[in-house]
Order: sequence, then structure tokens, then C-alpha cells
Amino acid sequence: MRGYITKRLLIAVVTLIGMSMVIFVLMRLTPGNIADIMFESAGYVDQADKKKIEMELGIDKPIPMQYLSWLGELTQGYLGKSYRYERPAWEIIKPRLPVTLELALLAMAFSILLGVPFGVISAIRQDKPIDYVLRVVSLAGLSMPSFWLGMIVILLLVHSLGWIPSVTYVSPFDDLRANLAQFLFPALAVGYRSSALIMRITRSAMLEVLREDYIRTAWAKGQRERSVVWRHALKNASLPVITLLGIEFAFLIGGLVVTETVFNLPGVARYLIDAIQGRDYPVVQNLVMFIAIIVVLANLAVDLLYAWVDPRIKYGKA
Amino acid sequence: MPLRRFVRLAPLMLLLVLALALPAPAQAPKSGGVLTIHPLSAPPSLSPHEESTIAVVQQASPCFSNLVYYDPAKKQESVDTIIPELAEKWSWQDNFRNLVFLLRKDVKWHDGKPFTSKDVKYTFDMVRGAPDAEGRLRVNPRKLWYDNVEAIEAPEPYTVVFRLKKPQPSLLPMLASGYSPIYPQHVPLADFKNKCVGTGPYKLKENRPGEYVEYVRNPDYFVKGRPYLDGIKWIIIKDRSTQIAAVQAGQLDVAGSGWNKANADTAKKGKPQLVLLENDSNVNDNVLVNFKRAPFTDVRVRRAFNLALDRKSYLVGPRQGGASFGGALLPKPAGVWGLPLAEVQKLPGMGDAVKQKAEAKKLLAEAGFTDKNPLKVTVSTRALAIYVDTASWMVDQLRQVGIDATLEQIETGVWHPKMTRLEYQVALNLTGVGIDDPDAQLFENYRCGSQRNFSGYCSEEIDRLMAEQSSTLDKAKRLKIVNEIDRKLQADGARPVLGWGKQYAVHWPHVKNYPQHENSIYNVSRMQDVWLDK
Repeated sequence: MRGYITKRLLIAVVTLIGMSMVIFVLMRLTPGNIADIMFESAGYVDQADKKKIEMELGIDKPIPMQYLSWLGELTQGYLGKSYRYERPAWEIIKPRLPVTLELALLAMAFSILLGVPFGVISAIRQDKPIDYVLRVVSLAGLSMPSFWLGMIVILLLVHSLGWIPSVTYVSPFDDLRANLAQFLFPALAVGYRSSALIMRITRSAMLEVLREDYIRTAWAKGQRERSVVWRHALKNASLPVITLLGIEFAFLIGGLVVTETVFNLPGVARYLIDAIQGRDYPVVQNLVMFIAIIVVLANLAVDLLYAWVDPRIKYGKA
Repeated sequence: MPLRRFVRLAPLMLLLVLALALPAPAQAPKSGGVLTIHPLSAPPSLSPHEESTIAVVQQASPCFSNLVYYDPAKKQESVDTIIPELAEKWSWQDNFRNLVFLLRKDVKWHDGKPFTSKDVKYTFDMVRGAPDAEGRLRVNPRKLWYDNVEAIEAPEPYTVVFRLKKPQPSLLPMLASGYSPIYPQHVPLADFKNKCVGTGPYKLKENRPGEYVEYVRNPDYFVKGRPYLDGIKWIIIKDRSTQIAAVQAGQLDVAGSGWNKANADTAKKGKPQLVLLENDSNVNDNVLVNFKRAPFTDVRVRRAFNLALDRKSYLVGPRQGGASFGGALLPKPAGVWGLPLAEVQKLPGMGDAVKQKAEAKKLLAEAGFTDKNPLKVTVSTRALAIYVDTASWMVDQLRQVGIDATLEQIETGVWHPKMTRLEYQVALNLTGVGIDDPDAQLFENYRCGSQRNFSGYCSEEIDRLMAEQSSTLDKAKRLKIVNEIDRKLQADGARPVLGWGKQYAVHWPHVKNYPQHENSIYNVSRMQDVWLDK
């Protein structure tokens, strides 16, 4: 197992280096740069002054030189300086990480808490009224974009209660209750969509497993429904669900742009868009790398979970 | 009622009637509270001298002071509504060649250092790009404003003299703009990217990029008894629906930066007690026609374009009723220098739509463009909703006269480089002017070779008239020249103005003295007189 993890981590490093090159080159191929953006605010572009700014920021050098210089800084633990705010990029990124992580984790929690039980119930009550109801609920979840749902939630809250979650970020360390009130609705809006997906996958995996011989044997041995369903069937049906959870979590880290915008949460995804529009290369590079690391780690965690859930899966052996 | 009792009660009843009939006495302002408000967008910095967006002026103004400022209480900004700020007094000398300011002696920067005339000299030497300036702005959008300043002298710690090459009455209005704060000589310029050290009514508490800019009351503010508020929090909310919900839920006291009429009406509909404000914004929608490219070198084609764009349809379409019509300068009654209303009604595009479109077709045919050989045009615009809405309308209008128009959306990051290099045929643009003043508007946008003259328009006669109006001291005479310039610009089809957009905002009734000016949105954000009746 240790060898497997080491191998996976080495592959992850190669993947991340590849990612870094792609994002580095893509950002620089996009028309316009930070000097253009700075003049954008001034309302014109002075070519001579623009050249001076490009020189100051080091973006006049060839792309490979810029890339090597960034990698050099990274190895020293320095993430570079935000061009837009002239602050260390880490100073800009750091406060945004807990916001996105909290939202993603809460949304995941909601999606698991709703999706797995509903998927199981739907499978064991196949073609019964409750199955139809839950399938409609899940289809609705898949059909409604989470930002749209978020907007509807905000409108309903303001019209019915005259209240909406705080539009400025409240840290859980300052006020846990207010923080939860702030994250509850966006997490529900995002989690609902994910839960619908999880429910459908759980249902189909469960239906498949419930038709297996060993389940029939368990029934024949007179085991209780709870034991058959939750202990024997669900454990074996959970592999595709775990895969999906890994993918969903990675998506939630970088894909909550609109939800963060609608609920005015200062998270990574929303800021990433701002940084791309502002051609703030150091911030974009580091944020994308952060998302890539989460994706790689989430996939690794999923693979390791496979082995834990299904002892037949062995890593590190031919 | 017995007569005796009536006589006894009569004075009381009289008092009661008088109390009801007389206007309520003005409420005494209360101190305290934090005003929450959303800006147009996150500020790229807190340095107004390096920026040209209202977002910076809005959020940096509470921190700074000018030499002079526009009176927040007077609705229309003009040279007559300028009040002292850091300058106690000023006087024009040597037939408007020297402007002398006597400064306040009781002013401290937010870091406790004293304010002196050296700070004023430092600031404006830097802005005008003087060879011996101590500071250098990386981006200097308003250098042109101070082109006529020959030297700035600080002969004494509290006296400053602006020496001009020729008389220029507009210098004082330009110094009163929200874009003209005084910077401290002892603070590095780069610090204003994130921080703010000023002499204004509020001190910066925290600036979290993309989240909020928060101020607290400056206890050492030189105007005694001000500001009333304990602080101001500019909360950056990108989504317009969230802005509306936030003000309705009471999380914002004021909302509306960048709103159109529909947004304000929606907010008011949900909470009828909200106070709705409407004012001219001194921001116009204009059409950039590339004078350096055929066929726009042909005056007939330019005129056809102007006629094809029916202004009344523009008003009800993209502007949803929130605009006024005019020429190159903000029209009356909000504006001071605009063309008379009767003349505005006769400008191209203002007449009968059917007749004007027929005339446009005729002009195009004369220029060689017919239904079989249509003029193919790409209408470029910035990929922002407020631009795209109007540009889409424009494409439709041009198609109605047989022009084969297509829309090109240009990402914000490359919009100005393209405009500066004149890499477009026709474009829909928005232009905001810091102050309602001919010097500020005309030189920047119409003078031959100006960096923001995006259409490449150049007329020696116009340049001469611009210089003439700039040094004309008599206001009536100056207005006459300005109107003459405007007429010629409209006849030449130089950057036709579709209309001047109105701005809408809402605030809760407990917000008092919230300043709004009729002819500019840039010079009202000091907020020292705002108070909350809570």
C-alpha cells in the first residue's frame, strides 16, 4: 500500500507540473495583460508607460524564463505577488480557502445525508409510490442549476422573512451560529443538486447489488432487512458512489463561481474569475494549482477508500 | 362649549393649528452608526489619481480631502457651488494667470503628520508630470487637465500658488473633482494600492480586496462636529439581484451603484418605504466611428449612421426610460454647458424615425451602398451587459437601413488597447466625465491626438475653439463658444452621443443627507454630512 501511495504521489507531481505549464502558457496566450488592465481603469493605453510596467512586473521576459522564475519561487515557498493588489498572492488566496472548503464540505455533507438514504429507499421500494416521489425529487435536483435555486432561495427568504444570509463573510471562529446561518442555504442549494446525482447512482448500484446471489442468500438465511440492505448491499453498492463523491468534491472546490456570487461568499472560485479577468497571473496560477491539488488528492482518497470498502481490491500487487 | 371655556382653550387650539400647519423643524443630526452601501465594483486601488472608475472615487473619497470640493448640499455642480476644504481661501490673481490658495493650519494626516503646502505641490507636480516631480504615477489619466499649469509653488507652509500659462477658469472646478484629492508627500505612492492615508473624515479600517472597504470616523477631522457616522462599510456585491435583496433585507442602507430604472423599481416594489433617487450621471452612451478608416471618412456615411439610430427607440429600449438627450456636453437642466433643449430636439436621430431612416438610406446610396451592395460593418463593444444591451439595439437599427451590421463583443482587458489603436470600424462606448466642464470633456475626447480620442477625429478649427473657450473668463461668452463647438461636433458626426444615462439608487428613510448631484456622480462621496436616524 505504501508503495502504491508513493507511486500515486509521484504521478500527482508530474500531473501538477503538466497542469502548471498548461495554465501558465494559456494565461499568457490570452490577449491583454495586467498592464492593459491597469490602463483599462485609466481609460486609455500609453504604449511607453505600458512597456515600463511590463518591465517592472517581469512580464516582458520570454515565457519559459517567467515560468522558471515562478517555479523557482515556488520551491522557496513563495507564491509570488498579486499584480493587481501588489500584495503577496498568498495573502489574497489564504482567506478564501476556508470559505470554499466550508461550503464544499457542508454541501457534500448535505448531498450524502440526503442522497444515500433516498437512493437506498428508492431501490428497495422500486416502483412503489415512494420510489416515484424520490425519483421526481432527484430529477428536479438535476434539472435546477444550483445558482438558480440559490437565487430563488434568496428571493423567498427576503420576501417571506425579510432576511437573507449575511452578505459579508462571518468566520466560524467569530460567530459559529451566524456562520452556519450564512452557509446553510448555499450549501443546501449546491448539496441538493449533488444529492440528486448521488441518489440516482446509489439507486442504480443498489438495484444491481440487490439482485446478486449473495443478497438472495442473506434473505434466505432470514436476515433482517436492515442488515441485508445497509450491511451487505450498501457496502458493495458504494464503490460508484464513492467515485462520484470524489469527482463532486473536486468540482465543488473550483466550480461554485455562481453560487459564491449569488450568496456573496468570498471564496476561491469567485475570486479566480476576477483574477483571470484581471490577468493577475500569480493569483490565477496558484489558485488553479490549489484546485488541481485538491482534485489529485480527492482521486487518491477515492482509490484508497475502494480498498477499505471492498477488501478484494488490493493495491501494490500484480 | 361654553364661551368662557372656549376663550380659555382658544390659545391652545391656535398653537395646535399652527404646529400642524407649519413645516416640521429640521431634524438635528444624530451621531453614530455605520453606513452600509455597495459600490459599483471592487476598487482596483484606493488611488483616485491613477484610476478612472467611479468605483475608486466612491470608495476612496471618504479618506481624502481636496483643496476645494463641490458643496454636497447643492444639487447642481458649478463653479459657484465650490466650497473650501483644505484651502481656507483662494483668489485668482494676474488676470486669472495665478491661483493662490491659503491653506488650513489645523489639518493632520491620518498617521498624525501635519499637512502643509508641500503635500499640495507634491500631488499636483506628480499629476501634471512635472520634470522635477518627486513622485511618478504609473498610470496618469488626468495629466491633460493640468496641461496649462506652468508651475506650482509653495512659498510658505500654508500657501500654494498655481501659475498658469494662460487664464483657465476651469482649473478650479477640476481641483474640486473627486479625482483631485491631495496625497501625503511622506507616504509611498505604491501604498495607495491597498491602503489610504488622507486628511478626510474617515480613516481606513480594513480593505479586503473583492470583499469590502471599511472606514471609521477620523476623530481629528478638521471640520468640527463631522463626520456624523462612526463609519462606512462599502460591501462589494457583484450580483445585482443580491444587491436588491440585501437592501430589502436591511443589510445595506443604500444601494444602486450602476443600477438602471428597472433595478430601482424592483427594490422599491419589494420595500415601498425605500427612498428612490434619480439623477443624471454625466455618463453618456456614444458611438465611435473610426475616422481613419473608409468609408467613415465620408461625411455622408457618418451622417447616415447618426440618422439611423433613432434616439426615442434608444430611450425606451436599452435605457428603459432612464436617459436624457444632448450633444457632447451634459444637457440642461441638469447640465450647465449643454446645447439649448430646442436645439437638442433637432439633432440627428431625434426626429421622425421613418423619415430619418429614409434619409439615411438615401445618403448611403449616394455613398455607393445599396441593398445589392450593402455596407458591411462590425459594431464592437465591451463584453459588459450595459454596453452589449445598447450595442445590440444599435445593430438592429443599422440593419433597418440596409447596413449589414454584426456585433463583436470585446473582453474588457483588451477593449482600451483596441480603442487606442483604432482597431475597430464602429463601436459603442460609454464615457463618464468627472466634472461637468468643457475643458474636462472636450480636450480629452475630441482634441487631435488625445489619448482618449478613440475615434481619431481631428479638426484644427475645433482645437482652436477649444483653446479659446478654455481661456474665456466671461461665462456667457464661454457658453456661446462651447455651444458652437458642440454644434460642429454633431454636424461632423464626431462621436455621436445617443443619450446621457440616468442613475438610480435607493436608501432607507433613516439615511439622512445622502448626497446626490444632478450633473456628476464623481464628486459626492465624502459622506461627512450623512447621518443615520436610528
